[in-house]
Parts: sequence; C-alpha cells; structure tokens
Amino acid sequence: MSAVRRWAALTRRELLKLSRNPQAIITSLLLPILYLVLFGQGFNFTNLLNSNPFLTPAQKSQYLQQAFLGAPDYFSYFSAGMVGFVAVTATLFVGANVIFDKLFGSLKRVAASPATATDIFGARLVAGSLQPVGLAFLVLGLSILLGNLGLAGLHISVAVSVIGAAEVVVAILLLSVMFASLFLSLGFTIEQPQTYFAVVNAINLPVLLTSAALYPWGLMPVWLQTIASYNPVTLAVWVLRINFFGDAFYAYPAWVYLAGLFVWAVAMFSVATLLTRRALAPRK
Amino acid sequence: MADAIIAQDLTKTFNGRVKAVDGVSFSVKENEIYGFLGPNGAGKTTTLSLLTAVLGPTRGRATVDGLDVFHDPHELKQRIGLVFQEATADQDLTGRENLELAAALFGVPLRETPARVNELLERLALADSADRLVKTYSGGMRRRLELAVGIVHSPRVLFLDEPTLGLDPQGRAGFWKIVSELRRDTGMTVFLTTHYLDEADGMCDRIAIIDHGKIVAEGTPSQLKDRIGGDVVTVRPTATSPSLEAALKALPGVTAVSTQDDTYRVKCPSGDVLIPKIVGAATNLGVSIAGISLRRPSLDEVFLEFTGREYREDEGPTATDRAVFMTRFQNSRRGSR
Repeated sequence: MSAVRRWAALTRRELLKLSRNPQAIITSLLLPILYLVLFGQGFNFTNLLNSNPFLTPAQKSQYLQQAFLGAPDYFSYFSAGMVGFVAVTATLFVGANVIFDKLFGSLKRVAASPATATDIFGARLVAGSLQPVGLAFLVLGLSILLGNLGLAGLHISVAVSVIGAAEVVVAILLLSVMFASLFLSLGFTIEQPQTYFAVVNAINLPVLLTSAALYPWGLMPVWLQTIASYNPVTLAVWVLRINFFGDAFYAYPAWVYLAGLFVWAVAMFSVATLLTRRALAPRK
Repeated sequence: MADAIIAQDLTKTFNGRVKAVDGVSFSVKENEIYGFLGPNGAGKTTTLSLLTAVLGPTRGRATVDGLDVFHDPHELKQRIGLVFQEATADQDLTGRENLELAAALFGVPLRETPARVNELLERLALADSADRLVKTYSGGMRRRLELAVGIVHSPRVLFLDEPTLGLDPQGRAGFWKIVSELRRDTGMTVFLTTHYLDEADGMCDRIAIIDHGKIVAEGTPSQLKDRIGGDVVTVRPTATSPSLEAALKALPGVTAVSTQDDTYRVKCPSGDVLIPKIVGAATNLGVSIAGISLRRPSLDEVFLEFTGREYREDEGPTATDRAVFMTRFQNSRRGSR
C-alpha cells in the first residue's frame, strides 16, 4: 500500500510540475503541428505522381500503394509516422527533468526518503509516458481534421476494429515506455544538461532517420529497409498503418510487430531500472 | 539514557587516497543536541552522509536509533529526518504540496496527513504562504520548509547539515528556536553540523571539533572552554623579542604563553588584571607593542587551541573538497559515456 502511495505521490508531483509549465506544453505541441501543417503539406509525394500525365490512374494507385505500404497518399502514411516521431521527441524531456532535479536538489530529497529506486523511476516513467500518448492522439486528430479542411490529411482506408484500436494504443504506449526508459536512464547517469542534450541529439536523429516514420517505404534502399525493420519506431508505426490502411503489404500481422516492440520496451526498461538503481545507491 | 547514535572508527576515503573522515568514534545520547563543528572540508558533511546512509563507509560501523546504518538503510530512512544545507524542496510546488509529497514518501498515514501538514505549517510560520509556489519564498521561509519536510514523519533522530547557511542572524535565531522547541516537545535527538561557532555554543549539549577528518576535541561547550584555562591576552609587539616571551612567562598568574605568527598568546585566569603588567614588562624591556587584546574563553579560542589555527568561516577548498569534487566529476563523466 505504501509503495502504491509513493508511486501515486511521485506521479502527481510530475504531473503538477508539467501542468505548471505551459511553455513546455506549448513547445511540445508546436513541433508536431508544424510538421503536419508545413512539412506534411509541402512534402506531399502524392502530388508528384498525380501530376505525371504518362501514368494511368491504375498505375498511379499501384505506385502509391507500393511506396506507402497501402496508405492512399503520403500524408496519410506520414501522419501515422508522426505518432512515432512525437513518442521520441516528447519523452526526451523526462530525462532532462531528472538532471534539473539533480541540479536543484529535489532528487536528493526524494533519494533520502524511503522511496526505492523503482518508485522514483516508475513514477517518472508513468508520467513521462502519458504525455506522448496524449500528443499521439492530438497528431491523429489534427491529421484527420486537416483532411476535412480541404488540405492533405489522414484518410483511414479500412474500418478500425476494437482490437485494432487497442493495438494502436498499446503500440504508442510501448514506444513511449521504451524511449522514456532510455531517456530516464540517461538522465539518472548524466550530470550536466549540456552533455544530456548532446547525447540525446546523437540518439534521436539516427533513430528517426533509420525508421519508416517519415520516408516512403517503397523509395527506401533495401539496406535501409533492413535496418528500419528492426527499429522500434518502425515497429510501432507499422502497427498503426496496418490498422489504418490494411495489412496487404506487410509480412506479418500487427501482433508480431507489437511483440517485437514489447521486447524492445522490456529490454530498455530493464537496463534503465538497473542504471537508476546504481545511480541512486549509496555512493561507495 | 540510551545512545541514539554510535559511530565506531568511521572512515571514508575518496579515490583511495584522501581520507575525508579518519577513524571517527563518538556517541550521542537520546534527546541530546550534538554538534559537529569544523571548517570547510573538515569532514562534517561526510560524517553526516555516512550516518544517514547517503555514503557507504570505507571502514567502521555506526548505529542510529539502534539500527545498523549500513545493513538496513531503507529502515533507517523511515526513522531519521534529514535537512540538507542546500534547498531541496520542489520550487514548482507549493509548500503544502511539498509537505504532502514528503508525508507520502515517509509513510505518514493518509488520514493523518492533512492534520500533520497543517500543524507543521502553523508551527513553522508558513501557514499564510502554504499555497504559494516555493519559488516565491524568502530564504528564511525555504529553510523553515526544509525543516518541516525533514520532520514531517516525526523522526526519532534529526540530522541537520549546516541548516542555517546563508541566513541572516534573525533567520538563524528563529530557526534554532524552532529546533529547540521541537527537541523539547518531541524528545528527538539532533545531530547538527555547523560552521558557526556561536550556534554550536548556544544550541548544543555537546560538541565535537573535527579537523582534517579527525575529532580533535569533544565535550560540552563549557567543558571545552574550561580546557582553554581562562582568558587569552594576545600581544603583538612591533618586533619579536625572546626576552619579552621570557618576561611574559614570568608574570604572576600567567599559565601559558604560545606564539603564532608574530603574536604571543598569553593564558591567564583574569586578563584585565594582567594587561597593565604586560605593558609594564614590555616598557621595561624597551619593546614597543603594536596591539594588545583580551579574549574571553569562547569556542573560537577552543578551535584555535585544538587545531592550531584561527577559525575561518570562509576557508577555501581543501584537499578533501578537491578530492570529493574530482570523484563526483569522474563519476559523472563515467556515467555519461
């Protein structure tokens, strides 16, 4: 009971702090909105094919389907990828907050209490994973809205079942847990914010650029496809795309990719728990 | 009365070479206020960190409230309160929220929490600002909040690590008044480290003076002052003179004469009677006196007596400070790889 209370109290602390930092909330909202409204509209490969007079409508459709793995257009494909993108970018702040709590002394206070390393890590993981889930649904909602405003938007081409919707939520959650664990472990082991952001940048960009979040799959070279197929961002995004656009272009059903993502999340969670325990243990 | 804290041969070495704490042994009785006094880098905070299981020892053992510190740190944390020298309260939370968080972490029963939080806010004069964010608090309010957070679970032993550092005299006096009242009302034992000699003198039942990681003197403030042997007259001639030193030693009532830099420290039971005699002896020898002063027994004198140097509250970093810094720096670099 006391452990549950400690978790609840620490999670409440994180959420209170977040709610009192509107700049952080606005900034985290701004990035996906800019990507959807500017990048997604301007970088719409679909227009490139549609403007080609030598292709028949059937050929165009075939090319599009192969390039975007069943998605009707690039924006639909891209908006599902943006969900993976925000799971990475929104969770990096959980690690930064640990470093600032170390610098401002509040982590020292919590570490001197009977709260265990698991309590401290777990509460931050819960709070840190909730924000990307919220942002993910904002991205999906905004993408659908843009389509209804006459702009490029998300067009879901198959009926999403209850199980499919659950798979989408679990995929977003697992990806958030995985990256929140990664960034928390960095936060607990790194002392300086400058070092932390340098390391995070060195991780973020390669992770996103070796995933199928933004690139059209059909245009990626085979070697990059091979790397991307093991990338957790790709696995999560594929779960979304299968449920939104059908599984005709995928080798396995969604649950297989979910299982892969689960392995990633458990592995990262285990490493992060270990590192946090070491960081919070009495210094030798 | 039983011992609330027992330390035996506590030793902490950083980097395998710098001994921050070197074979420290002492005991603190229940309900006692015990002060650890020393300059920067003397080993005060390291000793406190060992007793609160923040640091592991290189050697030695310690019990707090009957509990082996190094074998059951989790249980230990339930029983002790700890007030750090730096601010640790969350600045983006209100005072009340900080206390509620601490109450949950330290296992104060949920039903009792609101009453306990309100009681502490009242007692520490924070009730009017309880629902304001801590970042708007003054230095004195933050220190009082730190104390409230440290005692929210009614600990049996309270550790205070230079808790009034940076406070003005009024803030310090107010803080210590509250600690005295808490000790009286709750029977808790208090272990404190401090820079301030006057605080140690006024607050502590017993004091240990620590220097270079070793306890160099221990006792009640009056016992320590008695060991000085009365007043100290400091004589600074314009030039050192062996004949003046001999003359000072020969004066009636002088119990000891020592030299430090270019001054003589003359111990005697009554300094005001001795000063005219010192001036007379110097005049007879043709030695000019540039300065002469009388110091009544104080902890400053005690410190000088046992460490051989003047007390400085703003001493620069010592070898221990540098070793601790380097250890943390290297750990952080290792962690970031």
